[in-house]
Amino acid sequence: MRRRIEELERAFGDPCDGANPLGMAALAEADRRNELPAAGERALDAADFASEFVPVALGGRLDRADVLARVLRPVFRRDVALGFGYGITSLFAASAVWAAGTEQQRGRTARTLLGGGRLSIVHHSLAHGNAMWRGELVARRTENGYVLNGRKDAVLNAERSAGYVVYARTEPGRGPRSHSVLLLDARERPPAGLRVLPRQLTTGMRGCRFAGLELTDRHLPPDSVVGRPGDGTQLALRTFQLNRALVSSVVLGAGDTALRSAVAAVTAEGAKGPGKRQRQVLAGVFADLLWCDAMATVVLRSLHVLPDSAHLGAAAVKYLVPDLVREDLEELGTVLGASDSLRQSGLSYVHKLLRDLPAAGLGHLGTAACQAVLLPQLPGLARDSWGVAEEPPPSLFRAGPSMPPLEMGRLAVAGGTDFLAASLNGALPRLGGDAGEAGPYREVLVRLTESLIAELQLLRREFGAMPAGDRAVLARPEACALADRYAHVAAAGAVLGFWTRQDGTDPFLADPAWLVLALSRLGGRLGLKLPALPPDCVDRVFGEVVARYRSGRAYDLHAGLLAGSGGVGTGR
Amino acid sequence: MSGYERGGSTLAAPILMEGPAGPWLRVRESVAFFGHAVVYADWNRWLPAVAAGPELRRLLGNRDWERFNALAKPEVRHRFAVSRLLVRHAAGAALEVVPDTLEVAYKPGGRPYLRGCDQLDVSLSHTLDLVVVGLNRRGRIGVDTELAGRRLRYSEVHRQMCTVAERAMLAGLPMPEQEAELLRLWTLKEAYTKALGQGMRMGFTQFGFDADGRGPLTPDGRPASYGEWAFGTYGLDLGDSYLMSVACHDAGLGGEADTSVATMLDEGFFGQVVDLLDRRGPGR
Repeated sequence: MRRRIEELERAFGDPCDGANPLGMAALAEADRRNELPAAGERALDAADFASEFVPVALGGRLDRADVLARVLRPVFRRDVALGFGYGITSLFAASAVWAAGTEQQRGRTARTLLGGGRLSIVHHSLAHGNAMWRGELVARRTENGYVLNGRKDAVLNAERSAGYVVYARTEPGRGPRSHSVLLLDARERPPAGLRVLPRQLTTGMRGCRFAGLELTDRHLPPDSVVGRPGDGTQLALRTFQLNRALVSSVVLGAGDTALRSAVAAVTAEGAKGPGKRQRQVLAGVFADLLWCDAMATVVLRSLHVLPDSAHLGAAAVKYLVPDLVREDLEELGTVLGASDSLRQSGLSYVHKLLRDLPAAGLGHLGTAACQAVLLPQLPGLARDSWGVAEEPPPSLFRAGPSMPPLEMGRLAVAGGTDFLAASLNGALPRLGGDAGEAGPYREVLVRLTESLIAELQLLRREFGAMPAGDRAVLARPEACALADRYAHVAAAGAVLGFWTRQDGTDPFLADPAWLVLALSRLGGRLGLKLPALPPDCVDRVFGEVVARYRSGRAYDLHAGLLAGSGGVGTGR
Repeated sequence: MSGYERGGSTLAAPILMEGPAGPWLRVRESVAFFGHAVVYADWNRWLPAVAAGPELRRLLGNRDWERFNALAKPEVRHRFAVSRLLVRHAAGAALEVVPDTLEVAYKPGGRPYLRGCDQLDVSLSHTLDLVVVGLNRRGRIGVDTELAGRRLRYSEVHRQMCTVAERAMLAGLPMPEQEAELLRLWTLKEAYTKALGQGMRMGFTQFGFDADGRGPLTPDGRPASYGEWAFGTYGLDLGDSYLMSVACHDAGLGGEADTSVATMLDEGFFGQVVDLLDRRGPGR
């Protein structure tokens, strides 16, 4: 896996090299022209990248969700639009087939992707939908299959996809079984009843090609349906778990590059060096990237290890991470705000990301979709799981060589236990043990953890008094605010679980400084009264920020070698 | 309003709120139609609504109640309380909820937000008697105010405040106009950096605006965005004259006009989860 990542790094080269056809400058230029970088698509073709989205059993390389996220990151480190536009949405489309398709459907879908074809997902309409989610296709059942009608305004890659995975309405009303997943072959000639509308330009991910689809009495054979008729909403809730965790993980690659540009700007020759506030920003953003990575990684592994409960963490991580990265980019803008050319190119990269991230995270629609999964469950979890559930197995935090397979069809969409809340409760006694460090850090760490546990107890009281499943009660600002608090507490559980369960081979990760900073930032977002940071906390984290920049290593839990700044050679 | 308006041809006109009675329907209409709303008030006229007591505590929420009590000067306390009430009433109108059910929280850079309700971004500003609140459902928003008569001397501040292109624009202007233009740029820059949640931590010489309030521009005056930002500056009159600038962002997601909290949990997703939980038996 490390080799696959390094090969991609080498193929894409140093992002900061102005002459690199896949560097930040070239990517910004493609973005200006509303195009995906052609050289980037060629590099991914050459790397046979689409096979990352096809399960091993079907001839591809998709085996572990956490590994997939790491392999995707080199692409997202360069260009979020390329990551989405080249292929991740093909996976989002195909995953319904991996979850519930027949042998024949799985084989055909695998062959399409492995042969270089793309798939588009045609979403159904969702509450508070944006352009990508507004409107939907309607399928009427006939004696020999389905007849598809309707119009969808914005479908990614509509013009160049080999097929569409359509979440079509098959029953009136909006209930649990109102939609079905149907496969639509786009290569059939003539394309009877299918019209691709003109391309629509977008504010974010400007290079991605969105276009509308119009269906008029298009006939689909009976074997087009994936799973059973009426399974659409359930399949969406299953497969979105992978999408949510993946998106949360890969956008950290974009955060990495933005942080790297800011570090480059303040440490450049002739720069006056980072001041106290700049060190705080850079160390703080790094601590955020680490806890986000811990949470995303734990959730990705939970898809394998805890398929009954992964849906909760997936909704929580997606609720938090893309927006948080966007805020961190805004914060990095204050460090990049200086007029020499290095800073300007970094700043324009940050501006591009600030346009791309809302499109990648789906904005309020994405949040609301996660809230719709979390809120009906939190009252029940407050009564049955929080403070009661056992801690998750250590393999969630420290991956061994073997992991149960990723079986998307087995993912539950409700119920289970809250393993992140259980990790938060379970971490406290271990902080005093051999995983901790004596002195001011342990004391601050214990106090931070205690206030986060107190927050969970408060949530337990509040949600415990609410009826489960009553949309009128839960669709209120008070409940939404509590769900927001819950997501932060869940994040603390993930990062504490990771820190207390690590094997200690990485001295920086074993050091509590980054954890204290991360928890302190999480606690600050909750408005908690926080203990003061130990005096050298920021500088200990900042030291690692600079060291990783100089040695060309990633700003994540793995610290892998990157192209540029002393990392892997570019081979150009 | 005093009639002064620069830029902002796509922005909604600011709405005066005489007191807690509104007119709040206009806020909902403005957010639905334009995507955003800007409301302003003379906090002295809201005083009856902010008499300290259990009612105010409920309206402010615990965190802002603590902040309120920590403020020593009566006018500072009252202005603070009115600004938070104005946010709650205005946001409540757009979200179709009771004002005191909202939690106003603060991001690490100080930007206020509505916890759990990210369909609406908010911004706050105040100067002397004036309190202003901006709301936006399409992206970030920042508002900033100054007394219109405040004197900023170009010779003293241009190095810290102006880009090369702005200096070229301002340097040749005659005296009163030069100071007025400088003040306008100052409020635009404040509004933009507040929209980004950073306030004055952002270097003011790193981005600029032109004479029509178009921006953000690079220091040498080229566009630094693709038109996702709109800016406007307004004169507001409350006895004293004020300058108020708005920075309004459109993330381009083309969201629906519906910002109501009651409709935000998708019936299909919610129903599916509840359905499955119900089948698992009692206790839930």
